[in-house]
Amino acid sequence: MSGGGPPRKRNFKIEAFKHRVELDPKYAERTWKVLEHAIHEIYNHNASGLSFEELYRSAYNMVLHKYGEKLYTGLQSTMTWRLKEISKSIEAAQGGLFLEELNAKWMDHNKALQMIRDILMYMDRTYVPTSHKTPVHELGLNLWRDHIIHYDMIHDRLLHTLLDIIHRERMGEVINRGLMRSITKMLMDLGPVVYQDDFEKPFLEVSASFYSGESQEFIECCDCGNYLKKAERRLNEEMERVSHYLDAGSDAKITSVVEKEMIANHMHRLVHMENSGLVNMLVDDKYEDLGRMYTLFRRVPDGLSTIRDMMTSYLRETGKQLVTDPERLKDPVEFVQCLLNEKDKHDKIIHVAFGNDKTFQNALNSSFEFFINLNNRSPEFISLYVDDKLRKGLKGATEEDVEAILDKVMMLFRYLQEKDVFEKYYKQHLAKRLLSSKTVSDDAERSMIVKLKTECGYQFTSKLEGMFTDMKTSQDTMRDFYAKKSEELGDGPTLDVHILTTGSWPTQPSPPCSLPPEILAVCEKFRAYYLGTHNGRRLTWQTNMGTADIKATFGKGQKHELNVSTYQMCILMLFNSADGLTYKDIEQGTEIPAVDLKRCLQSLACVKGKNVLRKEPMSKDISEDDTFYFNDKFTSKLVKVKIGTVVAQKESEPEKQETRQRVEEDRKPQIEAAIVRIMKSRRVLDHNSIVAEVTKQLQARFLPNPVIIKKRIESLIEREFLERDKADRKLYRYLA
Amino acid sequence: MRRSSKKSSSSAPAGQTKAVSKEVERIDQLFYTYADSSSGMVDPEGIETLCSHLEVPHTDVRILMLAWKMGCEKQGYITLDEWRSGLKTLRADSISKLKKAFPEMVQEVTRPSNFQDFYPFAFRYCLTEDKKKCIEIPVACELLNLVLSLQFRPQVDKLMDYLKYQNDYKVINMDQWMGFLRFCNEIIFPSLDNYDPDQAWPLILDNFVEWLRANKN
Repeated sequence: MSGGGPPRKRNFKIEAFKHRVELDPKYAERTWKVLEHAIHEIYNHNASGLSFEELYRSAYNMVLHKYGEKLYTGLQSTMTWRLKEISKSIEAAQGGLFLEELNAKWMDHNKALQMIRDILMYMDRTYVPTSHKTPVHELGLNLWRDHIIHYDMIHDRLLHTLLDIIHRERMGEVINRGLMRSITKMLMDLGPVVYQDDFEKPFLEVSASFYSGESQEFIECCDCGNYLKKAERRLNEEMERVSHYLDAGSDAKITSVVEKEMIANHMHRLVHMENSGLVNMLVDDKYEDLGRMYTLFRRVPDGLSTIRDMMTSYLRETGKQLVTDPERLKDPVEFVQCLLNEKDKHDKIIHVAFGNDKTFQNALNSSFEFFINLNNRSPEFISLYVDDKLRKGLKGATEEDVEAILDKVMMLFRYLQEKDVFEKYYKQHLAKRLLSSKTVSDDAERSMIVKLKTECGYQFTSKLEGMFTDMKTSQDTMRDFYAKKSEELGDGPTLDVHILTTGSWPTQPSPPCSLPPEILAVCEKFRAYYLGTHNGRRLTWQTNMGTADIKATFGKGQKHELNVSTYQMCILMLFNSADGLTYKDIEQGTEIPAVDLKRCLQSLACVKGKNVLRKEPMSKDISEDDTFYFNDKFTSKLVKVKIGTVVAQKESEPEKQETRQRVEEDRKPQIEAAIVRIMKSRRVLDHNSIVAEVTKQLQARFLPNPVIIKKRIESLIEREFLERDKADRKLYRYLA
Repeated sequence: MRRSSKKSSSSAPAGQTKAVSKEVERIDQLFYTYADSSSGMVDPEGIETLCSHLEVPHTDVRILMLAWKMGCEKQGYITLDEWRSGLKTLRADSISKLKKAFPEMVQEVTRPSNFQDFYPFAFRYCLTEDKKKCIEIPVACELLNLVLSLQFRPQVDKLMDYLKYQNDYKVINMDQWMGFLRFCNEIIFPSLDNYDPDQAWPLILDNFVEWLRANKN
């Protein structure tokens, strides 16, 4: 520091030594030698004799005095030399010891590497980053990779050994999983790329060909169920293998190999397998097998759709056969029961085996919808089924049972395309039930109506409800009638009148027949009474729909009470004044229409156990030349004998044609109303759009035929509700 | 439809008036040679006579065209006003002039713009008191033949065959009638390649095409 003069202000500075502390190059060489020696000792398991502190300081000094590079390169070459020696010893290992040797040496190397890194920590933190060199630990791994794993002699042998062990385990041998774990972990530690390239990829390839072969073998000799069991087992095995001694990342890869080889490649063959494929499983309710198939196939693309498509085509085929089998169609109630059973069966399969999968449920629904509508008598038959149940089938059933059965029927109802046909039949059958008082439970009837209303709206059921109201009102009317007029009526026949509102009931109007005088008298009294209390109404007796209970005494004095139709009553009453009558006599006396007359006479004279009349000649059919006699010799074990013919039954061909015609007639105004509604709001529309809209509007009731729609449009054009657009004749225009 | 004006002739420049009124007089005179005295109209008999003078059969399409030109409302009858307006436009006041006017008249009617008017007129002309909206199949066939066969012979032939063969329809209405013309104008015949039944064609034509396609073999 210079003296003299006033002190000048200066920043206080500390300066480094002015002279370099030069490290003697010889000293560096000596220091390196110490470290080199230490490395060898570490590898020789002689680390205990070394002083960590001293070695650390040596390394530190080297780096400090700019000998970092020498240290690093020294480390590199020493380690490399070391590893080359190690590789020779591994290579020399025999057979099964190869892997163990490799593993042992790897353990050693790791331990050594750790110690070396600790010693060289200072270099790792200073020299290495600044010179962009690989850190010590990583260097150690890379060297191992390059000189051991990628050493030709070792590389192939390692891979072979690993794959061979895995193969043996697949074939049932027990192997050393711990050792495998260690090796694969080593590969992962060396870098995912090493694991993948040097092990995983070949492993997957070999596995693929293994499973390809095995699946081929299995499929030749196994049935579907057993094959699936084996496939499932192998799949689980592989997953277990991964969890025990492979890297977790291999899980998805190996499972997809198994899925592809064992499942995807054989999907079609499995599903179509004769005697054990999907169809057989469905038929035999093999829930476990089906469930297994579902879970396995779900893993592969298009797996589920393969099952679903097969199931759909099977259902459609079976369903189609069911609805077109003439034997089945003889008994409508049985027919519908079959349909319900099929539905139940498959519902259960979907629930138990397919996990309530919605897509399968949809496939089931669409199949049912397809084949139920193949038979155009389905609406009629379903109505007959309900009729049977409400008439007697549900006798004694609990409320829950009733609801369950009706709900199931509603499911079938939903599948119908021609709901308006169902409505027509339901009305007919309901009318018969109500009028003959043959319904098992009023609550059940009501419940059905409510369900139909919920499904189809108020319009569908308003007339049906009207029928119930009429029945109730009639009861009240009769009560009042007898209350007021009992003295006047005295001992005459007891009348029970049902007053039906025309329009609500599906009555086929027919002229009344000729009633016996006693009956006529009381009927007239009722008519007078009713019209007296109800102004402006008109009553017409529907003699084709009534019933009568009459007491008959036969030859030996046996008394029976006969329950007959009104027509039959008229016929029988004639025999009060004559023992024998010809067909013509009866026809004249009763004025019953020929078709009905023949049917009545048939049921009175030709049915065993109910033959209250005797016919000459004794042939089966009624001819206009026949003569009838009161059958004195009639016997029956029952006191009350039912001979009525008002039970709802399957329609005959001509009746069916008639009903269908009426349905078609009813559809015309509905289609027209829909067209007008649509055109009113849209004003101008092209043909296809009208057809689409109309179909959409009416589909809740029936599926309109596009040709019929066109006809209705033309009719509306003629009646000037619509016109064709003058500019573009493809369009229609609404005429206000 | 061209309606005859019910007003009497309007004023004309003085110099021409004489020539014009002479023409009108001749036209009127000609009318009365054919008209029935009691009804004051030309009746079917009168028309027949007219046709023989014109040397054209009364079933010829040109008579129909003449009716259109005159704006006749009732088939088989011509009123004075109708006669006047027709002959005036044709500039004919004698049978020979009328006859000479025919070729040009045919040309005029077959022009698409006029034909679009003539064609429905032909249909309406055939309607009667009791059949106010439709004409019977045999009549329709004849009419088609008359009116369309010159331009669309093959279509008309096939259509006539079909109409006689089918029994879905016993009469044809105006909508269907117009459909026939549209069909001939728009559809490639006999390939029928561009016919689409999902378009708004009358149902009778859908059936016709189906029948044609089925009978191609």
